[in-house]
Amino acid sequence: MNAFEKVVNRLLDSRQYAERWGRHWLDVVRYADTAGDAGDFPIPEAYKYRNYVIDSFAKDKPYNQFVREQIAGDLLPFKDDGQRWEQTIGTGYLAISRRIGVSPRGERHITIEDTIDNFGKTFLGLSIGCARCHDHKFDPIPTADYYSIYGIFDSSVYPFNGEEHLPYRADFVYRIGKEKASEILSPYEKEYEVWKKLERKKFAEYQEFQDRRIDTPGRTREVVWKELTELREKMRPYAEKFPALETAYAMSEGSPHDVNIQKMGTPSMKGEIAPRGYLQILGGQKLPAEEKGSGRRELADWVASDANPLTARVMVNRIWHYHFGKGMVTSTSDFGVRGLAPSNAPLLDYLASEFMAQGWSVKAMHRMILLSDTYRRSSADIAANSAKDPQNDFLWRQNRRRLDAESINDGIRLLSGTLDFSIGGRHPMANERTYFFRQHEPFTEMYQNNLRTVYGMQGRIQKNPYLDLFDGPDGNLPLSERKQTTTSLQALFLMNSKFLHEQSSTIAERLLPAAQGTPARVEWAYERLLNQRARPQDIAKAEEFLAVLRNQYQSAGCTAGCEQSVWGSYLRSILSSNAFLYVD
Amino acid sequence: MKSPLYNRRQSIRSLAAGGLLLPGVLSEMMQGSTMPADPLAPIAPHFPAKAKRVIFLFMTGGVSHVDTFDPKPFLKQNHGKSSTSEKRRGKNFYKGTDWEFRRYGKSGTEVSDLFPQMGAMMDDIGVIRSMVNINGDHFGATIGIHTGSATFNRPSMGSWVSYGLGTVNRNLPSFVVIAPELPYAGGQVWGSDFLPVLHQGTRIVPGPEPISNINRRSVSPDVQRTELNMVDYFNRQHLTGREDDTDLSARIQSFETAFGMQREAPEAFDITKESDATLKLYGIDRSTTRGFGWQCLVGRRLAERGVRFVELISGGTSIDYNWDAHAKMANYNRLAKDVDQPIAGLLRDLKSRGMLDDTVVVWTTEFGRSPTVPDPTAEGRGHHAKTYCSWVAGGGFKGGVTYGESDEIGDSIASNPVSVHDLQATVLNQLGLDHTRLTYRHAGRDYRLTDVHGQIVKPLLA
Repeated sequence: MNAFEKVVNRLLDSRQYAERWGRHWLDVVRYADTAGDAGDFPIPEAYKYRNYVIDSFAKDKPYNQFVREQIAGDLLPFKDDGQRWEQTIGTGYLAISRRIGVSPRGERHITIEDTIDNFGKTFLGLSIGCARCHDHKFDPIPTADYYSIYGIFDSSVYPFNGEEHLPYRADFVYRIGKEKASEILSPYEKEYEVWKKLERKKFAEYQEFQDRRIDTPGRTREVVWKELTELREKMRPYAEKFPALETAYAMSEGSPHDVNIQKMGTPSMKGEIAPRGYLQILGGQKLPAEEKGSGRRELADWVASDANPLTARVMVNRIWHYHFGKGMVTSTSDFGVRGLAPSNAPLLDYLASEFMAQGWSVKAMHRMILLSDTYRRSSADIAANSAKDPQNDFLWRQNRRRLDAESINDGIRLLSGTLDFSIGGRHPMANERTYFFRQHEPFTEMYQNNLRTVYGMQGRIQKNPYLDLFDGPDGNLPLSERKQTTTSLQALFLMNSKFLHEQSSTIAERLLPAAQGTPARVEWAYERLLNQRARPQDIAKAEEFLAVLRNQYQSAGCTAGCEQSVWGSYLRSILSSNAFLYVD
Repeated sequence: MKSPLYNRRQSIRSLAAGGLLLPGVLSEMMQGSTMPADPLAPIAPHFPAKAKRVIFLFMTGGVSHVDTFDPKPFLKQNHGKSSTSEKRRGKNFYKGTDWEFRRYGKSGTEVSDLFPQMGAMMDDIGVIRSMVNINGDHFGATIGIHTGSATFNRPSMGSWVSYGLGTVNRNLPSFVVIAPELPYAGGQVWGSDFLPVLHQGTRIVPGPEPISNINRRSVSPDVQRTELNMVDYFNRQHLTGREDDTDLSARIQSFETAFGMQREAPEAFDITKESDATLKLYGIDRSTTRGFGWQCLVGRRLAERGVRFVELISGGTSIDYNWDAHAKMANYNRLAKDVDQPIAGLLRDLKSRGMLDDTVVVWTTEFGRSPTVPDPTAEGRGHHAKTYCSWVAGGGFKGGVTYGESDEIGDSIASNPVSVHDLQATVLNQLGLDHTRLTYRHAGRDYRLTDVHGQIVKPLLA
């Protein structure tokens, strides 16, 4: 094994590999820690799915298994309870489908629409969503196909997070099973039910002020609101008294049924029954007549079958995309007629068949790509090539890329020594039985931690300004390809943000004792921040700048810690430069 | 984003690599045909435009139409009586307005006493009395009027306008939202969604740092200058051998733009140099740093400085501080007072500066409020998306007109409905944009602000 192979193996074995590639997957499945409804109810268990994704990449779970688990993990065979539970958590993929509006329960078809849209794009690279209202105009997906799949999800139970008019969650999956859980919980439920009734009654009383004038002395809307808040506080200990049973934001089986086609995507306009089954272009299998389940189990097998190379092609292309900055099919979630043709169809087919032949191992695919001549090319320009293939479609060189939001943030904190490499867990959300969010008071917490950005809080209504700034995910829209924008607001962040100023100062604090004298310090900085050796002219230039800065800090009245400030300025400038922000 | 090589750039880059050009000159020279097209550079509209910019006034919560711009004497006459309409079974009672309506100006457009100042501007305003939203909840209706969709995440109108027209002042964002509080649906209201993020609304929160990171943090201007010189030095070193990469030069330029913003933006938010007369128009004084008067004046200052789409939001999600008067219509006295003079002042100010001609001003909300209530004593009103009011002014719109009608009680549309897509299509039209041609390819299809809908409301056009 040569040195390069050793490095590749070491990196693929690291937890950090899985966190980064897990993040790619989380982009595609529009992961979030909240539901997306008008109150944006938090989901404390959502992180289990996030960590499940990361763990799956870490252990190189065969991709076909990974796919099956996310669609039907609760229905798959298992060798022990650990595996059963892990697979169940995998269905968090379906559970995180977007809830929308004030009463998402009443808009179930919109949640299922979000599921189907994401399912098609993520696994098959197909926009099935169009067929909700009409036969797909470009791809051979008739409306009946959409409702064949719709029936499968409609026969399943999505966990309910609570919503404005019914702020009590239901249908989360208990590790010990529904029956055992309800046995243990029922005395508590009984007790709590009384409180819930009081709470709902009080809330109704509050709402009554909307409907009529209430002249009872001392009964104002404000008074009732106060009583309601106090009541909720009184309930809290009872909510917190429940035994902490292990739960997951996951799917379970409902009553199996086929659904009618909804004409124009409108549930009330019923068309013909669409028997549950798979897309016709991909085989059009139907559920066997004797099937007693929702059909997710079969769907999972249809998608993850060796007989369906599309699934493998889509994933291989995604892997390629993340290694080269663009896929052979550049629209990585659209392999349909309207997507772009692959730049190298034979290669894509070859890799897809290798992927399957190697047991759907993602890491094996990485190794193949990383050890290739193509991957190891420099990103330097070659005029003759660039004249023939200016877009670098044939990858005669590597594509230079800007660091994404997470890499900038994590990279800087790594340098300052403030990045905590622990595995993230549950966000510090309040007890799940105490949520009374409304469109008027939505959940907007943005918890901070020092972990890698992938473990940060991702709400759906409250945007994360930092992630937005650098083209990061927003948890609403599937993000198959990160954009790479250049904006002046990004430059302002680099120039003026508290984050960059604090971090560069902390790096300076590490640098000062670590190396003595300007040349050694400049070398330290180049090596750590840029993975480069400082040349004599870089050191000379640094001497020049540092001298100017020393004077300027002095004129600005600096009396203590000036050297740290001076070096802080120098380091900040490196961190703001293209040399740091781009990977060749 | 790599573009083919050109000789001109090769010569520029050799100069740059030799350190013969100052950074500013470098980016200036590379701005020509060889730079990647600046995605915010001004773009010619589809056809000659009536207006160059938009000021979008959004009142969160749902402003009652029957208490503001749509007089319904029938409701008043039958106040407290049970509704006879078959559509409204059982407990529905007419609720008349608590305010008087008056005719204003030559046009005689009727407005309630909640908005006397806006009333005085009626000859410049086209009132739409037949707006329909696609959803009856705050969340869906708010994103409905902004993005055209009540159910999916889509780019906001301001993002579409920024994408369609670019901006003339790179020292300010192209789409600015002054929102002291988060509206319903939060940041989705100004999100760019699948459009590049530079078209996203930049939210301004009144206070010491209206735009994030706009204030210099380095201890002195000198230190910052040196820091920027160093960044430029590192960038130029890095550019050597990578001259073909237009992203890199774009980022070098972004620092200059950012520095320009840092220099210019605070001035745009500084109202202290406005004349007494101007401040008076908005009902504020020199020390004002918040409130809708401040928002409107700063909105004008931003529009004047080239911001393409300025959105000013009144209210947040808390019912006591927005127009969602379920419990008490009387709250409107206070809310209306907060916005009436500022909005009228904005129109007067724009007019006196000659800006009203090429600035579209839209006043709107997510829906109206129900003309009937479940109990004769009810003091508030429920949501009502089936018909409500908005108005448009300036930018090639006709003043002194009303368009569309609701029925006798303001419950449904009687004539000429205007959907949110119609309003969007019409505003785009004034900017010279054809809403059917303003498209963006995403996930395999071309998306539009108006989806497959939208009719231009021609009778509103001058």
